[in-house]
Amino acid sequence: MIEALADRVYYLAVFLLLGVGTYMLIGNANLVKKVIGMNIFQTGIFLFFITAAYIDGASPPLLSAPGPYVSPLPHVLILTAIVVGVSLTAVALGLIVRIYSEYGTLDEDAIAKVIADE
Amino acid sequence: MTTPLELGLLVFILTCAVATALLRDVLGSIIAFSAYSLAIAVAWVFLRAPDVGLTEAAVGAGVMTVLFLLTIAKTVRPSSDRTLERVDLPALAVSVALVAVLATTLFALPAAGAADSAVATDDVTAYYLDNAYEETQVKNAVTAVLAAYRGFDTLGEAVVVYAAGVGLLVVLDREVFA
Repeated sequence: MIEALADRVYYLAVFLLLGVGTYMLIGNANLVKKVIGMNIFQTGIFLFFITAAYIDGASPPLLSAPGPYVSPLPHVLILTAIVVGVSLTAVALGLIVRIYSEYGTLDEDAIAKVIADE
Repeated sequence: MTTPLELGLLVFILTCAVATALLRDVLGSIIAFSAYSLAIAVAWVFLRAPDVGLTEAAVGAGVMTVLFLLTIAKTVRPSSDRTLERVDLPALAVSVALVAVLATTLFALPAAGAADSAVATDDVTAYYLDNAYEETQVKNAVTAVLAAYRGFDTLGEAVVVYAAGVGLLVVLDREVFA
């Protein structure tokens, strides 16, 4: 049991990161912290993919090194996902700047109150 | 098998993530997040993914931190007298429930690093590793797959980045980045 858990410690970290990301998305009222939470959730998924590709004692997928190699395909998917994640974050932060100029606050509850009062 | 060094790194990563969630000062939260990004870039190197590590260190820890700091500079950094946020119990309940559900699958997953896992033994993986150099003359299999075999994916990624740039200009009501 303990040994099986020790072999899957990376996956356990994945689940905990997804938990922290979910908590930030729901629990933090500040919009910037919500976006940070979204990024933590994303990196949790990235860790899942890269861990799935990992093989004990294997080389990175650089074919000049001697084999065996870890699988390159998840690495490629995650490279793409990191860049897409940054684009997503940039647009989200742009929207946050606009929300701030419109409502003068980044607090979710305060914004909801302003909208309700209108 | 996980070494004590990797275990320590994972503990550091999780501590940074929790600090990011609980620090009340948004600037402190951003700094904890960039420490988190750097640590996870080191974790990619441990997991034999140097390309992902480089991208994460440059983009995740670098560009992302700058974007967050710019947002803080343009908006507001809420003043605070307390160091930590009050814990939101409903949100905590949801995330604990999520982790509990995910944890039931933990022992159904192959051990990290197992040579007989589905990803490691897949035909696609074997094809890329066997033929990448012959067919593309690139010794880095990740680059070969990214730029040659899955070039259209990368084109799509470039389109996403372009769309995000245009979207950002539209949202901010500007005509150039300045």
